[in-house]
Amino acid sequence: MELITASAIVSYTTKIEDDLAKFYDNLAKKYPEAKEVFLSFAKENRSNKTSVERTYYGIISDKLEACFVKTLNTDDYSINMELAENASYTDALKKALEVEEKTQRFLQDAAESTKALVPDVSWVLTRMGKKRGDRINKLKSLLEKAGR
Amino acid sequence: MIDVAILEEPIKEVLTIKNYINGEWVESESEKILDVVNPATQKVLAKVPVSTSRELDEAVKAAREAFERWRETPPLARARCLFRLKELLEEHFEELSRIQTMEHGKTIDESRGETRRGIENVEVATGIPSLMQGYLSEDIAVGMDEFAYRQPIGVFGIIAPFNFPFMVPLWFAPYAIATGNCIIIKPSSEVPISQSKLAELAEEAGIPPGVWNVINGGREVVSAMLEHPDIDGICFVGSTPTGRFIYKKCGETGKRVIAQCGAKNFLLVMPDAVLDRTIAACMTSFYGNTGQRCLSGANLVIVGEGLNEHEFNAFYDKVVKAFVEAASKIRVGYGLDERVQMGPLRDKEKKQRLVSYIEKGISEGAKLMLDGRNVKLIGDWPHDAFLNPTVFTEVTPDMFIGREELFGPVASIMRARNFDEAIEMIHSNPYGNASSIFTQSGKWAREFVYRVKTGGVGINVGIVAPMAFFPFPGKKQSFFGVLHGQRESIDFFTDRKVVIQRWF
Repeated sequence: MELITASAIVSYTTKIEDDLAKFYDNLAKKYPEAKEVFLSFAKENRSNKTSVERTYYGIISDKLEACFVKTLNTDDYSINMELAENASYTDALKKALEVEEKTQRFLQDAAESTKALVPDVSWVLTRMGKKRGDRINKLKSLLEKAGR
Repeated sequence: MIDVAILEEPIKEVLTIKNYINGEWVESESEKILDVVNPATQKVLAKVPVSTSRELDEAVKAAREAFERWRETPPLARARCLFRLKELLEEHFEELSRIQTMEHGKTIDESRGETRRGIENVEVATGIPSLMQGYLSEDIAVGMDEFAYRQPIGVFGIIAPFNFPFMVPLWFAPYAIATGNCIIIKPSSEVPISQSKLAELAEEAGIPPGVWNVINGGREVVSAMLEHPDIDGICFVGSTPTGRFIYKKCGETGKRVIAQCGAKNFLLVMPDAVLDRTIAACMTSFYGNTGQRCLSGANLVIVGEGLNEHEFNAFYDKVVKAFVEAASKIRVGYGLDERVQMGPLRDKEKKQRLVSYIEKGISEGAKLMLDGRNVKLIGDWPHDAFLNPTVFTEVTPDMFIGREELFGPVASIMRARNFDEAIEMIHSNPYGNASSIFTQSGKWAREFVYRVKTGGVGINVGIVAPMAFFPFPGKKQSFFGVLHGQRESIDFFTDRKVVIQRWF
């Protein structure tokens, strides 16, 4: 599906953050090895959701033109967060890494697409995308440790 | 799999709209009831009464009585009511926005923008303790001081249009009540639901009975407002003929008036304009709110300043191509669908009027580059009120479509050989609400701001919508009165009293 309005981009972003929060809550329950890390990710996802919504609702006033953002397509970012019941800790980390890399790409593209018309939202998305980089590094390092 | 769905509708059953008089929700005595129809789905959302002049009179009596107490309420206490109202508006932000989309047709992004803009006026009005302060000069003569201060006036009528059902009354209402006046709002009977909801929240915010009243209706209520001796002023937003009539009538009856009216806004594209950003701004200017705003772009003037004929033709073609291409990509449908960039017109009669204007444009010799009569929608909705973006080229300022306000998603593209000719085109039009120039040249931008006779001026901005802390300007046939809406209305809603004192 195409995301061609600011509202759609914000909805899509908040749904990703919601789903990721649930995803990491589950991982925290299943894999005590990285419980604290997963819980901190989930907390950050919830905070990201609030941050995007608050920014959008706060600035929409001077951006009645916000409905003409550039087109993004959800097919390019579709994220499968399902994990097999018997997935190992390493499998879980690999899945998380895959999801985060895709999410980071979406956030970067969404930031670019909203830059001209809703720049405050764009700024928040950019910041979230950058922080995703830290998360990806963390997951890679956990994966490396798990592989030893 | 994550997907984006059509947002949930907040109105689930047909509502009965009541009047709000003296803090009570009162069913109208009128037998004339109109349907409020969702223009996208054509479903009836509410039943609204066409109230009588007697009901208006009742509201005026309540407001007049409430005024005596309300004016004595300290400005800080009045501001606290507005702070509470602001909080309630934030709490109900999404519901209010979706109601606007349902009753008017605009997209959800546009409705949220309207809600935010409305709230901003409440926010600005909360500053009333300092905004309405007076001033003093000591020793104007030996032992004598002089000071001026503001006093509220009484009761004001607010006559609202259909195109911004929630926001427009808030250009006036918060300032009127913050300064100690009482109000009677007459919403457009086409879109009365968000004003009903707003009054509910005003009640919940603790605004006392009689201070904020809503009377639904039509001409009879408006005429009664204009004639009523206990109404001190009128705020009106709507068409130029009605605004002119109201201005004249208020002159006869000694009422203050702000009448913000029709428009025909010109956007100039200079050869050095940044084209992609200009086109994006033009899309929202011409097609935002389905072209139903007094700040919408109407005429796009491509200016050949400094270009020879060959270069000018190439530039003209390039801008036209980019404009038509962008306009043809705009997705039209129900505004609660987040994939939609433009909603329907408010009703099928407005669509029919626009269709007749398109036919007139063709018969006058303008070239139809994009025909919005070929309706293409996202979703399976009745076509009744939908019109897709339309573009004419080779329009001249004397053609009907180049001269008159169309109030819909129809763009007229014109040529001007140079800057002076473009300015002349703007000045030859009777309206003067807003105009814009797209250029990277400070010289042309400055020249434009200096010379153009419109109230609002945009530099690389397609919609010159002033923030709440600026006046909403307008000139020529776009405005009748002296003071404008939003912050400037503090002067409108108050009288200055000048006191010279000495003590023996």
